[in-house]
Amino acid sequence: MTTTMIVHVILGLLLLGFPIGMLYVFERKMLSRFGVAVVRMSVQLLAACLMVWVLYRLDRWWVSVAWLLAASLYSAIVASWKTGLQPRRLCLPLAAGLFAGTLLVGLYLLYAVLPLARAMNPHWFVPLTALLLGHAMTMAVKGIHAYCQALRTDEQQYEFLRGNGYKHLEAVRPFVRQAFLALAVNTIANLQAMAFYSMPLLLCGILLGGAAPINAFVVTLLLVVGAVAASVLSLAVSLWLADRQLFDSYGKLRQKG
Amino acid sequence: MRIKVLESGKIANFAEKIEMLEFKDATIAVGGRVLARRLSLIARDGELTCVTGPEGSGKTVLLRTLMGFLPVEEGFVSVDGELLTQRSSRAFRTQMVYLPQQMQLLRRQLEPVEAGRAVADEYGVWNMTAPRVTTLEPAAVLGPEEIFRLAEQTLKAGSGKRIVIADEPCAMLSPELTARLLELLRGEARAGKTVLVASRRQEVIDQADQVARLQ
Repeated sequence: MTTTMIVHVILGLLLLGFPIGMLYVFERKMLSRFGVAVVRMSVQLLAACLMVWVLYRLDRWWVSVAWLLAASLYSAIVASWKTGLQPRRLCLPLAAGLFAGTLLVGLYLLYAVLPLARAMNPHWFVPLTALLLGHAMTMAVKGIHAYCQALRTDEQQYEFLRGNGYKHLEAVRPFVRQAFLALAVNTIANLQAMAFYSMPLLLCGILLGGAAPINAFVVTLLLVVGAVAASVLSLAVSLWLADRQLFDSYGKLRQKG
Repeated sequence: MRIKVLESGKIANFAEKIEMLEFKDATIAVGGRVLARRLSLIARDGELTCVTGPEGSGKTVLLRTLMGFLPVEEGFVSVDGELLTQRSSRAFRTQMVYLPQQMQLLRRQLEPVEAGRAVADEYGVWNMTAPRVTTLEPAAVLGPEEIFRLAEQTLKAGSGKRIVIADEPCAMLSPELTARLLELLRGEARAGKTVLVASRRQEVIDQADQVARLQ
C-alpha cells in the first residue's frame, strides 16, 4: 500500500463524518455500536481480501478448488446453525451439495460459456464461484429447511404414502416439491426485484471494473442464470445426500438432533 | 361373529380360507424397548378381521409391523406365505391399502401445498447475507366428511390391491359416516381381499368376521 493510497483511504473514511455527525446529534448511545460495526466490517473485508490475495499469489488450480471446498463447509456450518437446521446431520450433505453445484456450474461457465484462455485462473475462478456459492447457500438452506419442516409437520403423509405402496423416493416427492417451491418463489422474488429500486451491485461492480455496458449486461445475465442453476443443483445434491441422515433403514424419520 | 381371545403363543383357529397374513409369536422391539410381545394372529382372504384391545396393547404396533415399519425381534410375520422382512416389506406394501390412525392430519394429501410468495432479499441474487427461512404453518385438520372422502379415494385407488389395513378408521367419523366406511370395508372383504382393522369401537367389532383381542 503506497502513501498515496493511504491518503486516499483517509479521505474516503472522512465520509464517515456524515453518519457519525447524525448519530452525535440524534442518538449518541449508538455511536459505539456504529463504530464497532464499521471496524468489524473493515476487518472482515480485509481478511477476505487477504485470503483472495493469497489465492492469487499461489495461482494453483487445486488450491482454488480446496478453497471452494472449505468455503462450502464454512457456509454450510454457519447457515445451518443460524437457521435452526440440524447441523450435525445436515452440515455435510449441505456442504457437499454446495460444493458440487457451485463447482459444476462454475466450471461450465468458465470453460464453455465465457470461455476463458485460463479458466482456472484464480482471478476468475474465485470471484465467480464465490458469487455462485453465496446465492446457492441462501437458496439451498431455504429449500432444505422447507423440506425438513414439511417432513416433520406432515410426517403422517409420508407414512400414509409408504403404507400405500409408494417407494421412498415417491413418498418424499411432495416434500421435495415443497423444497423446490421454496427455492423457486424466492428466486422469482429476487429476479423480479432486480434493478427495480437500484442498479444491481453486481452490474455496478463489473462497470467499475471497466467493462462496457453491453459486456456488463451479458456477464451479469450469465452470472445470474448461473447462480440460479447452481442453487437448483446444490439443493438437489444436498437433498439426495441428506436422505440417509434423515431416515433410518425402516424409512422412519429420525428424531431431530 | 366369533370372538377369540388371543393369548401369548396361541393362534386363533377359524374357517379354512387362504391365510393371507400371519403373526406367529412375534415380538416387536425398537432400540431394545419391547413394543409388543408374542403376538399371534391369522387374517384370511375375504374376511374383515378386527384387532381390538385396550390402549397400548399393541394394535397399531401390529399394523405398523405388517407394513415393515417396525422390526420383528422374535417369531415371524408372513404375507401370503412369504416371510416378512425389511426387504420384502417393500414389495408387500405395493399390495396394501393403508388408512392410518390420524387421517385428520392428511390435509396436504387432499390439497397439495401451493406456491406462495416471497419478499426479495435485500441485494437480490448477489447478496451474501445469512439466509432467512420462513416457518411452515401446520395444515388445518380434516373434518369427518373430508376424512371419509380421503378414505374412499384411497380405497378406490387401491382397487387392484389384495390387502386393506385400517388403524382406527372410524375414530373421527360420525355414526353415519362410520356406517358408510364400514360398508366400504365390508365390500372390500366381499371382493376377496384381506381386511385388517384395528379398532376399539363396538360398531367396528360388530361388523368383523373375526375379532382378535390383544391383551
